[in-house]
Amino acid sequence: MEAVQTFRCEGCGAALSLRASERTQVCVYCASPNVVAGALDATRQEPRFCIPHAQGEKLARQALADWKKKLGFFSHQGVRGARLENFKGVYAPGVLYSAIARARYDVSIGEEYYVTETYTTTENGKTVTRTRRVKKHEWVPLSGEYEAYATDLVVSASSGIPNEELEAIEPFDFRGLRRYSPGLVAGWTVETPSRSEGDCLGLARTELQGVVDRRLREFMPGDTFSDLRSTTRIEHESAAALLVPLWVLALKYDEQKPALRVLINGQTGKTSAKVPWSWPRLIAVAVIVLVVLAFGIAASLVQR
Amino acid sequence: MRCARCQAPLEHGDIRCPVCAFPSEVVVAGEAAVMKVLRCPECNAALAYSAEKQNAACGFCGCVMKVEEPIDPIETPSARLPLLVQAGQAKASLRRWLSTRGFFTPGDLATAATVDTIHPLWWAAWVCDAKATVSWAADSNAASRRSDWAPHSGKHTLEWSNLVVPATRGLSAHETNVLTSRYDVSRLEPVPDGAAQVEQFDVQRSAARKTVIEAIERDAAERLKGGSIPGNRFRNVHVSALLEGLTTRRLAFPAWVLAYRFNGKLYRAVVHGQQSDVVIGTSPISWAKVALVGLGVLVAIALIAVAVRQFG
Repeated sequence: MEAVQTFRCEGCGAALSLRASERTQVCVYCASPNVVAGALDATRQEPRFCIPHAQGEKLARQALADWKKKLGFFSHQGVRGARLENFKGVYAPGVLYSAIARARYDVSIGEEYYVTETYTTTENGKTVTRTRRVKKHEWVPLSGEYEAYATDLVVSASSGIPNEELEAIEPFDFRGLRRYSPGLVAGWTVETPSRSEGDCLGLARTELQGVVDRRLREFMPGDTFSDLRSTTRIEHESAAALLVPLWVLALKYDEQKPALRVLINGQTGKTSAKVPWSWPRLIAVAVIVLVVLAFGIAASLVQR
Repeated sequence: MRCARCQAPLEHGDIRCPVCAFPSEVVVAGEAAVMKVLRCPECNAALAYSAEKQNAACGFCGCVMKVEEPIDPIETPSARLPLLVQAGQAKASLRRWLSTRGFFTPGDLATAATVDTIHPLWWAAWVCDAKATVSWAADSNAASRRSDWAPHSGKHTLEWSNLVVPATRGLSAHETNVLTSRYDVSRLEPVPDGAAQVEQFDVQRSAARKTVIEAIERDAAERLKGGSIPGNRFRNVHVSALLEGLTTRRLAFPAWVLAYRFNGKLYRAVVHGQQSDVVIGTSPISWAKVALVGLGVLVAIALIAVAVRQFG
C-alpha cells in the first residue's frame, strides 16, 4: 500500500494527507494550492528542472480533437465514439540525462564501382552480343572511433508511464527548460518519482545507446555498409530530476477492459495512445477479402 | 564559472552548459519536507501556476508573480574593432579595385563610375577559442582500388584560436570569408550606446551556440582535409567534435559598404575597415568585349578546321 504522509496546510492549518506519489495538493477547506518544499523522501532530490505547461486546457482539447480525427478505420469503435473529457494536467517525473559517449566500431564499407559486362541476347530471332555497365560494391573493412556528447535525453521516472509512451510524445523544446520552482507547479498535480534511480539510469543508458547507434549509421562513409558492430563507453553522466508537462486522459472505451491512457505533451500538444483494434471491422474486411479472392479463383477455374 | 564536464564558461542565466548540457549548479541536500503556499505580494491570496500566463498568477487581483524566466537574450556585440580606414581611403581603394577588374570589364569603369553612397558598418560575428577531440570518417582516393573511393577514419585533437563565425545578414558568406582573415582582434573598443551602424546578431543565445558549434565542425572538416585525411579527393567527410573549453566573444567588425553607379546601374562593393587593400564586390561586364572574344574564338576554330581539312 502506498505510504501516506500528513502535512499542515499553510493556508488554514488543516491536516492534509499526501500519498508518496504526490507533491502538491489543493486544500479541501481553504482551496490553497499547497506545494511540498524540500525532499519528500530522504533518498530522492527535489526536482531540479521543470518544463512548464505551455497552455491551459485549450491545448489538450485541441490536441485530443486532432488525435480523434486521425483515428483510422480499424481503431476500436469505443475509442472512436468516446467523449474526450475529464483529462487532467499533471507534471510527471522524469530524468534529464546527458553523457559523453565514446564508441569503437568495426564495419564493412561498400564502395561502388562499375564494370562493363558482355552478354548475349536474342533480337529479331538472332543471337547478338551486347555490353552493359553493372554496378558492384567493393567491400572494405573499417575500424574507428566516434566520440560525442549525448544530451537532452528524457526518461520516465514514473512506473505508471512506460518510457516508450513518453518517447512517443517527445520531443520537448528545451529552450523552455526552467530551474524548478514551486511557482511553476502550484495548483497542478505533481507526481513524485516511482521508478528507482537505478532503473531510470538503465533506461537512459539504453536510450543513449540507441542515439549512438543511429548517429553511427549516419557517420559511416561509403555508398553503403554492413556488419556494423560497436561498443560504447559512457563517461561523465548527468541525471537530473525533471518535471515534464503532460495532459492525461484515462479513456474508458469498454466496460470489460482497462482504460486506455492517452498522453499529451503539455508543451507541444503531441498526442499518443496505444489504440486497440476494432476486431469486428478487421474480421469483416478479412472475410470480404477472402470472399473476393475465392470468387476470383472460382471464376478463373470456370473459365479454364 | 566553468562547466564541470567540458570547461566551457557559463554565462548569467545558464542553467545548463550550452555545449554539453551538464547542469550548472551543485545540488544541495534536501531540507525536511513542509507544505508551502505561494502568496500574492499584492493581496496575500494563494497563487497557482497559470499556463496561459506562463507564471504563478493570483486569481483574485490578477497579479502575476515573476517566477524565474528562462534567460535566452538576443545576442549583442560586447565590443567592436576600431575602424582604421577613412572614407576617402575607402573610395580610393574602390577606384584602384575597379581599375584591376580584368579585361572583360568596361575600359572606362574606374574613371566613369561614381560613388552613390558610402557608409561604415560593423558586422556581427562570434570569435571562438576551443579545443576538441575530433573523430572522423570519410572516403578519399587514397588506397582506392577498383572503386574510386576508399574509407578512412581517425581521431585528432584540434585547437581553434580566434575562429570567426559570421552572424551578419548584411554581408554574404563570400564577402565575410574574404574580409575575415585580415582583422586584428587584439585591439577592441567599446560599442557606443545606440550606434546605428553596429549590426545586431538577430539570434537568441540558444540558437547562437548551435550555429557556433556547427561552424566549428565545418571548419574541423576543412582542416582535416588539409592533411589529416589521406588523399586529395574527399567525400562523405563526417566529423564529431567533443568540444572542451569553448569560449565565445561577440564582436563587431568594421567595413565600408559602398554603392557605385556605372551607366545608370548600381553595383555594390565592401572595403575592409582595417586594411584598405581588401575590396570585394560586383562589377559590370563589357558584353561587347565578351562578344568580340567569342567571335575571335569561333573564327580561330573555323580557321583550324579549314587548315586541318586542307593539310590534314
